[in-house]
Amino acid sequence: MSYPNEAEARLALADVEQARQRVIDRIGMPWWYWWGLAGCWVGLGVLNDVGVAPWLLTAATLVVGAVHASVSQRLLGGRQQTSEVRVRRDVAGRRSALLVIAFLVSLVALTIVAALALDADGAGHPATGASIFVAVVIVLGGPQVMAAIREDAARRAVA
Amino acid sequence: MSGQRFDELIHPATRLSIMSLLAAADWADFAFVRDQLRLSDSALSKQLATLEEAGYVAIERPLSERRRRLRAQLTPLGRERFHGHVVALQALIAGGPLTTA
Repeated sequence: MSYPNEAEARLALADVEQARQRVIDRIGMPWWYWWGLAGCWVGLGVLNDVGVAPWLLTAATLVVGAVHASVSQRLLGGRQQTSEVRVRRDVAGRRSALLVIAFLVSLVALTIVAALALDADGAGHPATGASIFVAVVIVLGGPQVMAAIREDAARRAVA
Repeated sequence: MSGQRFDELIHPATRLSIMSLLAAADWADFAFVRDQLRLSDSALSKQLATLEEAGYVAIERPLSERRRRLRAQLTPLGRERFHGHVVALQALIAGGPLTTA
């Protein structure tokens, strides 16, 4: 049997890393998830401000929560952005789903703080204003969170 | 997981790339592997058949929507051999002795 020499072994390992990186590049959540979430956020904010019956607002919140739960079950953590490949959990990082959940929880906190601030400032529609602000954060920040997860995965692969 | 073990079946560049892609994934579509490695359908089929025959790769054919898809994944044996091969390459660079599969 002929073994590869050192240079060939280095090339082979570089190929291994390159292939791994190609899978890491697929970590992410589809654009429609972030836009859909942002849309629902604004929708709930508007419903809150137009003064619908409390039961209707509660029902709408529950529906949005249920739909989000069913969709995010597959998508959370970014391991399956498309139906072409599912990234292994240890490649994406065991904390990737937790990072996305932490992002979502911080959005709820941000919405409450922004709405209270707008209300204190005398804004006419504080919940709508706050939800639009947070919707922008979702659309711009969501992909950034996924990029951070990809960078972390690539760093761990090299280490 | 086993230690270092140079594997002649895995080492050819195309097979090593296929194994590397699959090692980072739970599963991957035939089309994904083909496009990422810029292989023809027939070239990829041939390599996958070799790896499947060795017990390193499992091919699933889930019926998805209106078309049949082909999905490949490493078997536990394939994952073990791939890991052993990578460790063997690293040992070779470090100047250590090699064992073979």
